[in-house]
Amino acid sequence: MNTNPDESLLALWLDDELHGEELVAVEAWALTQPEQLAAREEVRKWRAMMSAAVPAVEEPPFPDFFNSRIEKAIREQPVVKPAPAPAKTSFWRSWFVPATAFAGMAVAFWVGTQTKSTESQVAQTVSQIQTAPVVYTPEQGVDAKWFASSNASATVIVLEGVNAIPSTLDFSETASVPTSGNENSDQAIGLQQGERR
Amino acid sequence: MNKPSGNTSKNTQGPPGTADSDASNADPDDDFRLVALAQGGDMRSYDALVTRHRGRIYAMIRNMIHQDADAWDLSQEVFIKAWNALPRFEAKAKFSTWLYRITHNVVYDWTRKRKIESAGELNDEIFERDRIDPAAVTAPAMGEAPDDLMAHGELRQKIEAALCKLSPEHREVVVLKDVQGLSYKEIADVMESTLGTVMSRLFYARQKLQALLKDEYQSR
Repeated sequence: MNTNPDESLLALWLDDELHGEELVAVEAWALTQPEQLAAREEVRKWRAMMSAAVPAVEEPPFPDFFNSRIEKAIREQPVVKPAPAPAKTSFWRSWFVPATAFAGMAVAFWVGTQTKSTESQVAQTVSQIQTAPVVYTPEQGVDAKWFASSNASATVIVLEGVNAIPSTLDFSETASVPTSGNENSDQAIGLQQGERR
Repeated sequence: MNKPSGNTSKNTQGPPGTADSDASNADPDDDFRLVALAQGGDMRSYDALVTRHRGRIYAMIRNMIHQDADAWDLSQEVFIKAWNALPRFEAKAKFSTWLYRITHNVVYDWTRKRKIESAGELNDEIFERDRIDPAAVTAPAMGEAPDDLMAHGELRQKIEAALCKLSPEHREVVVLKDVQGLSYKEIADVMESTLGTVMSRLFYARQKLQALLKDEYQSR
């Protein structure tokens, strides 16, 4: 190996975890690296000391009781039914469902565009109504004509066919007549008259 | 009986493979055969798997938490959880590596819970030997008698004391690598870390441990 092995490869080599071509390559490089060879020996010595002093396998106390308690605990567990596996999607569903969804979206889009044009027609009609109002005449035979002048800022309504108001019509009948028991009303009328003056 | 896959088949013959308690001698192929039978609901096969791996799992947990009683209980929890997760086990990794991963999660859950519980005042009375039932199966670890100390070895005591001074992550990586003999890749799988993280943790953990055991390490 012409170049130094990276840290990961070196760590694996130091712990004797390299195999095959990688091992051969790093070994060849390490021949000229006495400090790395010494480091590997240190790691080996360390591992040997640890594994000799601390056992990797240690039977738990009362091993038979250990096993039987595990079995007992497993048997006493509530039965849990496994979740049902999701049903396999059929070929028919795999293409029909997306196609139907797409068609539905297309129809909804078309309906949306149609609704929009109807709305614009309604808006146009309303604006026409607002510019040419319909004048309502409750009495039959009466015809009303409407004129508007934007320059004069005036609106004139001409009624034709309305009967003349008779001179005998007493307007007082349509006005409020003060009575003796309604003093406040008198005052109110007086006040109104005073205001007019 | 609750079965991992809901299969009610029962193996009337003995499980294949020897039920030796040393998983280092356990052939992974035998493990896979036992797992397949256990996945079908064969409790005897699972019992054989427990027997093959309990020694390593108990030793690992004991080295992680240094309490015999809790290590006994947690080891059981590992095998109960493994049974429940057995239907999801795929033979992509070794059964032992898969067990170590469950062990990792169980120990970390226990450590987290213990941190929360120990936030209060410590009741020293629970450690008095007189208050503990001598017939209790899970008697907690006490200061060992001189004979036991001799049997276990002075070095082991010092290593265990030094391991206690490491962070849980550093302790676990040293135990898995230098005691259990797992590869970097297997440790990364167990701890759900990257290879680089494992290498870095092991480097610093060994450095600290060697500093703590300077006298013992240099005299050898």
